[in-house]
Amino acid sequence: MTQGDAEPIRLPMAELQVAKAADRQFQLPKEPPTEDYRKLLFELEAAGEIEVLRVPEPFVEVDTKFGRKKKVPLENTWHHKSCGQCGHIPGYSTSIFWLNREFGFNYHDPREQTSCTAWNYYASSTSNPAAQAAVACRNFAQAKLDGYFPLIHCGTSYGHYKEVRAQLLHHPELRNQVRKILARLNLPFVFPEEIVHYSEWVHVMREKIAERQVRDFSSITVTVHPACHYHKLVVEDAIYDADLYDGQRTAIVSGVVTALGAKVADYSTWHDCCGFGFRHILVSRDFSRSFATIRKIERMKEEADPDVTLTHDTGCVTTLDKSQFSTQAHNRNVGIPVMSDAQFAALSMGAHPYLVCQLHWHGVDMKPLLEQMGIDHEKAWKEFEEVADKLEKSPESYLTWEEV
Amino acid sequence: MNPIYKDARYTEVPYEEKLKLFDAVKSDMRYPHELHGCYECGICVAACPSARFFDFSPRVFAQTMAREDVHSFYELLNDNVWDCSQCFSCTCCPRQNNPGGIITIMREVAVNDGLQSAKDALQAYSRIIYKVMSTGTQVSPDMLQPDFFPDWGPDVRDVSLNLDVWRRAIPPETMHTVELAWDVSEKTRLELYMIWKLTGNLEMIENVDEGLYMILEEVMEELLEEHGYDIDDFDNILED
Amino acid sequence: MSGKVMVIGGGPAGLEAARGVIELGYECILVEQRDSLGGSPISASYAALTPDMEDTEVAMARMIDSVVGNELADIRLGNSVTAVEGSAPEFKVTLQSDSGSEIVDICSVVVATGFKHFDPGRETQKYGYYEYDDVLTLVDAEKMLKSGSFVRPSTGEAPKTVCFVQCVGSRDRQIGNQWCSKVCCGVATKEAIEIKHLLPDCKVIVFYIDMRMYGFWEDLLYWKAQEEYRVNFIRGLVSEVTKRGDTIVVKGEDTTMGRPMEVPMDMVILSVGMEPSDGTLAMAELFELPLECHGYIETKGGPLNTVQTPIDGVFVAGTAAGPADLEDSISMGGAAALKACAFIRRITVTN
Repeated sequence: MTQGDAEPIRLPMAELQVAKAADRQFQLPKEPPTEDYRKLLFELEAAGEIEVLRVPEPFVEVDTKFGRKKKVPLENTWHHKSCGQCGHIPGYSTSIFWLNREFGFNYHDPREQTSCTAWNYYASSTSNPAAQAAVACRNFAQAKLDGYFPLIHCGTSYGHYKEVRAQLLHHPELRNQVRKILARLNLPFVFPEEIVHYSEWVHVMREKIAERQVRDFSSITVTVHPACHYHKLVVEDAIYDADLYDGQRTAIVSGVVTALGAKVADYSTWHDCCGFGFRHILVSRDFSRSFATIRKIERMKEEADPDVTLTHDTGCVTTLDKSQFSTQAHNRNVGIPVMSDAQFAALSMGAHPYLVCQLHWHGVDMKPLLEQMGIDHEKAWKEFEEVADKLEKSPESYLTWEEV
Repeated sequence: MNPIYKDARYTEVPYEEKLKLFDAVKSDMRYPHELHGCYECGICVAACPSARFFDFSPRVFAQTMAREDVHSFYELLNDNVWDCSQCFSCTCCPRQNNPGGIITIMREVAVNDGLQSAKDALQAYSRIIYKVMSTGTQVSPDMLQPDFFPDWGPDVRDVSLNLDVWRRAIPPETMHTVELAWDVSEKTRLELYMIWKLTGNLEMIENVDEGLYMILEEVMEELLEEHGYDIDDFDNILED
Repeated sequence: MSGKVMVIGGGPAGLEAARGVIELGYECILVEQRDSLGGSPISASYAALTPDMEDTEVAMARMIDSVVGNELADIRLGNSVTAVEGSAPEFKVTLQSDSGSEIVDICSVVVATGFKHFDPGRETQKYGYYEYDDVLTLVDAEKMLKSGSFVRPSTGEAPKTVCFVQCVGSRDRQIGNQWCSKVCCGVATKEAIEIKHLLPDCKVIVFYIDMRMYGFWEDLLYWKAQEEYRVNFIRGLVSEVTKRGDTIVVKGEDTTMGRPMEVPMDMVILSVGMEPSDGTLAMAELFELPLECHGYIETKGGPLNTVQTPIDGVFVAGTAAGPADLEDSISMGGAAALKACAFIRRITVTN
């Protein structure tokens, strides 16, 4: 070998250009790195262990994190409600139902439903896997008996049921326990083919919602907060879209905001939790409040100055909204209205801000936002008050769907 | 075996007592999925909300458990385990550990053992446990009281003043409730109680709050009896 | 029997294997898919080699020169192996190029088809490579260093702060890449020194889990970076890269200090690891070579035989068999050449 006398190869300088982010093209892996839970579910079904509740027609297939398709049903949904939404943010659940009604979709709002009871799992740990799996499967069995497919309103129930699914798939002893319990309850052992969150339904419906849009949202800037239990706790079946964040972050919520012509503004703590903390929001609230305002709201305000922040889970709406009042008293840079994607979508389609979206249950002042949406909130509030007056006078009466 | 740290706490608690609880965590069905090993990259701490406001580190949990440091485990079990937000941001761990999941198990062990620190942590929490177990829902509308949420501003007062009417001014039929988030049928509550009994959940409550246990037992017994069931027929099947 | 060795792949390992074969007096067909030799160091525009920092083009030209023009070397650029029939010592291998296909007879094979750089979009952590101009990979940074102008792609201005994030796509159970890619610690440190050389006032930080600076890399690179160039090494990885206004922010934990941190940065360089290249996987399939548990070509004989595959007459060299630095790749190239020739010689002598 001769040393040093070879001519060096010189590449043209043009080849040394580094691509800008917009020109970089992300390729999904050929093989997802996670197991396919549906395959395992169907294997258990074939072995006679459980019954798999199929996603009913019509459904939309949508991309998930690693490129697998997920079926999201449009109709015939069994609405697995959320405690926090129904109890403290009633316009949240109402908006989901209102959207279904507007589209003429058949759905069921059951009384034979409990929450996931994961408050006793994540907050107090006064439960155990067998109880949690039995609670989940009791709800699923009821959905099957009612002839509908579960649509989960709560982010935590959604994440928790996916954890339950993984535990059931991998632990025959747990399946045996749940089977025994369900037998005592005279219920079938069924598990849905997909665990579907209502925000996934909103996501797949976004174009149809936009077609029915009657209010102009083009001047509205939105910051999005994705729920941890949606996109961090069992990641593989969260919705991703190559056209949103290059498929690098979940497309949930951002998708419908974009479809409705509003602007999604980014901020540096997008990935951060809201600070809910389960037990913290109730008995250690200084933590939740500090985290929500210092890490989330103030950052959004400083970096994006949004007109509203949207999220898709109960705890996140509560924490981000309710934490702002006392923080404002300290002259901190807060004051961003908080609502769910479902309420935002309903407003775009002309829903009443108080009778449907029930915005009077929220803490931060929504009036400037409503004005920006072209809503006469004074008139709307008068309408609500008239309804309230009427109801006050006749104690056994209720506001009906026909009236809204 | 003695603690390795000079400033170790709980030196008065016998090693065997600590080991018993440590083994209870380790033998849990979920544990092998929650901890593999830890090379201390700190990613879990970076993603953790609690680490920013408390003396709390998911990395320390993972590392302590991986080292099988029983003494430090006992310190975490008493002093830090209730600070976790259970958001599972730490599941981004490249080793696929789940420090939040380890903590769920540790809390269950603390509750089952009736540790004083667990009782203290859950002291203000009885009402929530009661709601969840007796109704299957939580976050009821009547919880919105200005004295419970003074920092949530004047609309909590507005809601509580108008609660009855405002609840009736919501269109879905299932949500005209004040004491429950939604109207849960009696049949469903009955099934829920059977689940609590069959999985030993009621005994868990007995360990941390005897008063609450007695109230719950009574409520459950009553409904079961009303429907012709005997509460004693629903033994914990997990012990089979 | 043709008596020929085929070397597949014209990178460092393949070039060294080819050089070995012809120096031992055997005929060698060197197949390269690209239109030029030199492998990743040339095609991915590495500025200088690790650890001695010699100009890549000078060093690789020397290797290429030792093969090109030799009468025993039959070099096929722009050719791919598309089919294999028979077994050693009578393989019939189809070569495909733009001008058509050809079947050649060969006795033994050295597979040196290398690795590919990990795509940071598949990383479990959120590093924003597809969102932010100023987040780059080690490979992107090599290009810039080679051009002699190290600037923020977003502004064209020299950065005041740059950080490296180690183990991107390596040592990660979530994505299934459980291996250490071996070279990234050294390459990042080398690049850190090169940046400091170009921009002495720039603050450079390397975020790491373990700095793996084996043997002489310890003082030649690691100590040198610390002591002569004041590169900061912070033990703790980054979970997220986000943007705050015009500034990139990295979020991590300084594990030595036990404190969560948030650091504004002008540029972030992701130390992407290795994965088996598409060519490596294709050759494994064609020659029916089993893959070891990480997905690279399996060798038999453990640490005492690094180049013998379970298939008779087929040898592997370089990163096709697993993550390797240049030293390893070159050593394997030589060993594979020796064994590929010995395989032919054994048959010739026996016959």
